[in-house]
Amino acid sequence: MSKYSQVFKISLQDEFVYRLNFVLWRLRNVFSIFLVFFLWDSIFSVQDRVIFGYDRVKILTYIFALMFVKAIVFASKTMDVTGEIARGDLSNSLLKPLDYFKYWLTRDVASKTLNLSFALVETTLLFLILKPPFFLQNNLISILLFIVSLLIAVALYFLILFIVSSSAFWVPEMGWAIHFIITIVILEFLSGSLFPLDVLPKPIFSILSFTPFYYLIFFPIEVYLGKISGGEAVRGILISFVWVVILYLLMRSIWQKGLKVYQAYGR
Amino acid sequence: MTKTENTVIIKGLTKNFDVRFKEAGLAGSIKSLIKPKNIVKRALKGISFTVSRGELIGFIGPNGAGKTTTLKILSGLLYPTNGFVQVLGFNPWEKKPEFLKNISLVMGQKNQLWWDLPAIESLKLNRAIYEISQKDFTERLNKLTDLLDVGNLLSTQVRKLSLGQRMRLEFVTALIHEPEILFLDEPTIGLDVIAQQKVRDFIYEYNLKNRATILLTSHNMNDLLDLTKRVIVIDSGEILYDGYLSELVRSFAKEKIIKVYLAKESDIKKFETIGKIIKLDLPYVSLSVPRESAAVAASEILQSFAVADLTIEEEPIEGVIRRVFKGEMVKQS
Ligand SMILES: Nc1ncnc2c1ncn2[C@@H]1O[C@H](COP(=O)(O)OP(=O)(O)O)[C@@H](O)[C@H]1O
Ligand SMILES: [Mg+2]
Repeated sequence: MSKYSQVFKISLQDEFVYRLNFVLWRLRNVFSIFLVFFLWDSIFSVQDRVIFGYDRVKILTYIFALMFVKAIVFASKTMDVTGEIARGDLSNSLLKPLDYFKYWLTRDVASKTLNLSFALVETTLLFLILKPPFFLQNNLISILLFIVSLLIAVALYFLILFIVSSSAFWVPEMGWAIHFIITIVILEFLSGSLFPLDVLPKPIFSILSFTPFYYLIFFPIEVYLGKISGGEAVRGILISFVWVVILYLLMRSIWQKGLKVYQAYGR
Repeated sequence: MTKTENTVIIKGLTKNFDVRFKEAGLAGSIKSLIKPKNIVKRALKGISFTVSRGELIGFIGPNGAGKTTTLKILSGLLYPTNGFVQVLGFNPWEKKPEFLKNISLVMGQKNQLWWDLPAIESLKLNRAIYEISQKDFTERLNKLTDLLDVGNLLSTQVRKLSLGQRMRLEFVTALIHEPEILFLDEPTIGLDVIAQQKVRDFIYEYNLKNRATILLTSHNMNDLLDLTKRVIVIDSGEILYDGYLSELVRSFAKEKIIKVYLAKESDIKKFETIGKIIKLDLPYVSLSVPRESAAVAASEILQSFAVADLTIEEEPIEGVIRRVFKGEMVKQS
């Protein structure tokens, strides 16, 4: 597939054009980690305090894992699809023997590769500075399940973004608003990237575990930490995999309809 | 493949756009989302034509006539409301790779070049996408950059180029896969005169050397006069004329021009009763008259004046084309 390896290459080059932007974006990431870290650190500064089943060590471990998982799952360029549809730039791709879905998947992977390499450096640095208690998983099965759940999370997030973006076929001028509501508000809250989901009341937590959001951030972290393992982990992977299939089929059918009303803006 | 092979076939093509009526602002958007009020815009009202391999056709009409819409349907971007469309034997909408590998749509105001990278990177990407061998790629790139005189611009960041330079590189990028059919939408718009001429020469060469079929829309008189033999005139989604450019005058000019050199001074008042005076530079007078009464008018002039020379001419083609652009053409019976 030299087609898509070339797409990968040019995507990386494109990301590097605005080095300053990229550095600032990474800096923002580091700051937000600092912020969350100190917030929780101060909450748990009282000796032996336990809130919602988390003590200081557990919550700080969660936060460090969070930083890493977020860099993999949420680093994505796919929100640009909204703009491509609204501005009519999608036409450039439609005119070529190129699968648009694979094209963006490749761009996404490029973006993740870049972000991940930086995240690794940052994590190491922050680790050395903050010296948090951190739990290194050494159970091979847990690590394997973690990797699988991570891949599924990436696929889920990609599909959700692609589906959300296709709203631009019908309401091009609303694309950004819809995006903001779904990706920022809903996903950040429901995925576990602001707080561990099991601090929520039990019924809400149970319902969430049947939605795809649960599997974006919270589930992979818990699998890594070994808090979800064995049959429970396999069950989660199955549920999330079913979601991948459902969302994929949904995405395909929405795109088929969307392309028919696509207006190909531009003279 | 025979000589008269049809590369484009359109029969009874219609395209309606649903235009959502909405009030301004976010509230308006939400309102229109909940209770949409649509009006139908009929952009194409059942047009038909065919194009043979190797033809270079001018597709002309006033703004909003439906030219771009037609080209977008032909290249598979828009879904036709009704009618039959076939390009190179394919239904464009299906976007088969074998179809896409053989077409290109160039729009004067849209670009595919990666804005922040040098053009050569976009070209390399297209080389991979169209699966062009390294040898072919190098050969074509040299040829195209020579013809368009942009060889030295390949490694400059695209955003730093002038519009003319960028447009010529767009051409190189859009043609690196040597498509059999080219849809050109206002390819010379916004270019300076020299760049326009380069692009024109290039289109001419490409059509000739590759026996490529080219559909060209343009509001540039020279594009049409230099490049096209056949033109299709479209207005309000209907085809008004399809034939030789040279015959366009005969079909559309409602008037003829009579040019007279008078032998001696006379009362020129009488001319005003015969026709509309275009130019008066005694002893030269030119006037336009309805074409059906041109002969009568001429004999009347000959009777009323001492005439040294008299000719009856067609309205200049530029004038007719200009009226096409303005949408002043009416459908012939
Ligand atoms: N996406 C669209 N939505 C609604 N109306 C459109 C759209 N695109 C084109 N039209 C309308 O269809 C008609 C034909 O447009 P177009 O093909 O762009 O004309 P031309 O290229 O000949 O200037 C115009 O009246 C235009 O306003
Ligand atoms: Mg147009």
